[in-house]
Amino acid sequence: MTTPDEPELERETAPLVRPYVITNGRSLVDDHEFSLITLVTAAVDGPRTGHLDPEKLRLLDLCAGGYLSVAEIAGHTNLPVGVVKILLSDLTEEGFLMTRAPVPPAKLVERHILEEVLNGLQARFG
Amino acid sequence: MTQYFQDPALWGLIAAGTPVAATAIIRGRKSNAELRKEKQELKAHYANLEEHYSEAVEEAKDRAEEATKTALKSAMRTLQGLASEQQLAITKLQDKYGELQILQDLLDIDHMNSQFARRAQSIAVLCDGWLGRQRASASLYDVVRSAKGRIRHFTRVEIRAQSNFAIVSRAVEPVALTLAELLDNATSYSAPETMIEINIRPVPKGVCIIVDDAGVGMNEEEKARAAKLLSSERAPGVSGLGNPPQFGFTVIGVLAARYGFTVSVDSTSPYGGVRAVVLLPEELLTSMPAPAPETEEKPAMAASSPMPPEETPAAPATTFGGLPKRRRRGAISIVPAAETAEAPARSSEQAASVMGAFQRGTQSGRRSTNASSEGPETQ
Repeated sequence: MTTPDEPELERETAPLVRPYVITNGRSLVDDHEFSLITLVTAAVDGPRTGHLDPEKLRLLDLCAGGYLSVAEIAGHTNLPVGVVKILLSDLTEEGFLMTRAPVPPAKLVERHILEEVLNGLQARFG
Repeated sequence: MTQYFQDPALWGLIAAGTPVAATAIIRGRKSNAELRKEKQELKAHYANLEEHYSEAVEEAKDRAEEATKTALKSAMRTLQGLASEQQLAITKLQDKYGELQILQDLLDIDHMNSQFARRAQSIAVLCDGWLGRQRASASLYDVVRSAKGRIRHFTRVEIRAQSNFAIVSRAVEPVALTLAELLDNATSYSAPETMIEINIRPVPKGVCIIVDDAGVGMNEEEKARAAKLLSSERAPGVSGLGNPPQFGFTVIGVLAARYGFTVSVDSTSPYGGVRAVVLLPEELLTSMPAPAPETEEKPAMAASSPMPPEETPAAPATTFGGLPKRRRRGAISIVPAAETAEAPARSSEQAASVMGAFQRGTQSGRRSTNASSEGPETQ
């Protein structure tokens, strides 16, 4: 079907495999389960990975080095975050990955503690 | 009777009638010959007319077919261009709003757009038109998945095997479209709760993609009709589609002939439905592109950042398009792995200089506060 006016690999084309095929039409994962800062790492003795899709293998590959946040993983995959979450959720359910709740934000330190530290420093160095 | 012979009136009549009759007979013969000649001429003329008539009809038919093709082709070209533009726009939106609930709708729209693009593509194929933008060569698995995404009930399609084969650039779209048409047939002619199975099997002549459905199958007549459409005997063009028009097999037949692969649908699947087999010859196959050699790239902060030891798996990495993918140099973890979680060691000189700097800083700070007019510091 080659016509002389056929544009050759011109401009950018959308990826051949669409994201809804990669997730096999599954609906989005609830935010409580996977937030952007949920930490994920590969399970130590996960099942065999032979039959997994290339995208899932890539995710496992990324997570092999230690805990990574969902946001970071998504940044490395060229896939929408929501799609990455679905895949990560699948992999976790199948035992390939482990998740960890995000590091809690530092608690507000009370004023009197700060004052005591200041006083202590002044007593030591002043 | 004899009495009449003696009748002079009779003789008179004979004498008068004979020449008249003779003349009449001679005339009759003459006109007969003339008529015969005329008839011959007319016959020849008629044959001539008839011959030209069928020629004229053929010509008119061809012209009409060409005109239809041209019109449809240009219309489809516009639609295909728009669908492809829209797909790109949807892709960008999906990336932009990836974290939001709206992604679900964007995925659905993407699915509809793919089906719409396939329809336009099929019609374009029948009009010898544009198949779409040429893709980079892609793995067979990705081509099959792409085909799967172009039909309505794609979740019923299960791909059972991956392979190490890839399809050459020019055949990516034709093979994907062929498979999509087969899958469309398979899902349309089987119960909604049944699965369609795809297997990929290497054979001496190339690779077979096998599509099995659990539908009602085809009877002998349908099989013969399908075989005819898939072969070169099919009626060419848009007017041969029948009513209601049957696109699928015609489109597949055109593509198979043009790109040199074969498709057969005459066997029965293990589930009692149709087994369709696409045989891709070696010419359309290529091996998976090898990953680019990794160049070691030491991170600048390696000494002080909590980086886990670098592990680069040797598995080949490719993009969806089959091109070598840039690989991350080890995962950058935001939480140190247990074994590397030691406090960074400092030499005693470094520690002393840091403490000294701290002390000098507090002293100079106190001096400047005392000298200012802002009042005494609370002690």
